Amino acid sequence: MNEISILMHLLSRRKNLYQIGATKKEVLSYLNIKGRNKSIFFLDLITNLSKYIEPLGIKIKFNPLDSHWFISFDSSISDLILANPFEGEPKLAGTLLCILICCLQHSGSTTIQEVKKLRKKKGILGDLKELGKRGYIFLENDKIQLTPLIGYQLDIHKLFTKLALKLKE
Amino acid sequence: MIEFQDLTEEINKLIEKIRKQIISNNVSLLDLELLPIFEKLEQSLSIYNIKNYSESYKEACELLSQKFEELKDLLSSINNEKKFYEYIKSNPDDNEISQLLKDCWNDSFIINSISSNFLDYIKERFLNIQKSPIKIEHLEKSIKHGEFLLEIPKHGFTEKIMNYFELIKKKLPCQFYEIFEEDIDQIKIFEHFVFILHLLQLGKIKYQKETEMLYI
Repeated sequence: MNEISILMHLLSRRKNLYQIGATKKEVLSYLNIKGRNKSIFFLDLITNLSKYIEPLGIKIKFNPLDSHWFISFDSSISDLILANPFEGEPKLAGTLLCILICCLQHSGSTTIQEVKKLRKKKGILGDLKELGKRGYIFLENDKIQLTPLIGYQLDIHKLFTKLALKLKE
Repeated sequence: MIEFQDLTEEINKLIEKIRKQIISNNVSLLDLELLPIFEKLEQSLSIYNIKNYSESYKEACELLSQKFEELKDLLSSINNEKKFYEYIKSNPDDNEISQLLKDCWNDSFIINSISSNFLDYIKERFLNIQKSPIKIEHLEKSIKHGEFLLEIPKHGFTEKIMNYFELIKKKLPCQFYEIFEEDIDQIKIFEHFVFILHLLQLGKIKYQKETEMLYI
């Protein structure tokens, strides 16, 4: 196995319920890459792998929530309905977006009270329990914290760009 | 004769269409692709249509410049988390949120078949590959007296030629073959032949082709 095939396996493995792929540090450790040029070498590997797999309709992405590099199907070829984990459950998706924006506003965590106040909808507690069960959030007393899972399933950068465009209208 | 395409009309129509869409506020420039316009311009440009194309190119560049301005505005507003917070606070409809999320979903590519044990084994293998740095080793200088593989001739080449000249001088003039009469060894004959050539070149001896005579 060469570096590219190891990288392919590292970036396409499921580590646990919330995490896929590998961090830069892990990749460097697995491939025994050291020295002051290790970051350049890492980016070179990522770029090369990206070129190899592009014709297969898959691409390398970065999850900003836990700094993991992972592989995802190109959105132009994947079935977006199947990719949507909240298909037919718009209320659950709305609650999750509310938590995401609250966490962004408050440096990574929010409270049940705040979500309840913002969402102004019935059954929010049920939504929170369901999201916790599916691995999207950690609930601890009143505190809500996002797990990295949504960063793999949702293109957060694209979403915020769309939202910014929408609010600009 | 090669036929040249003039797509000025088509390109201008495209530019006009984009302008109308922007003016009517139907769409943002960031949602539009300007690349097809530039591709068309590049692919069909020739000396025959350059005059018409220059105006179209100028207009396309203006659109591109506007697009950059919009991108700059967007980037400056993108960090404004407060705006997003206000949006959620306005209690948007769940279907509206679903529409917003619609094409933002990722489908992760996961291979579960590889074991973590195997990855660890591979990691160990990589760790064991010692990439030792390149060592520059200086050659040892040995001082050896007396013996040397290359034999240095006792006399210089010119000296040898001159010695040979002294030897054959008494025989001259004579026939060319007579010079080698006493030589039996082929290597010696060859060596003496080379000497003769050099002596001829130096003008020490002369050769008459017709009589095959060597003389001084």
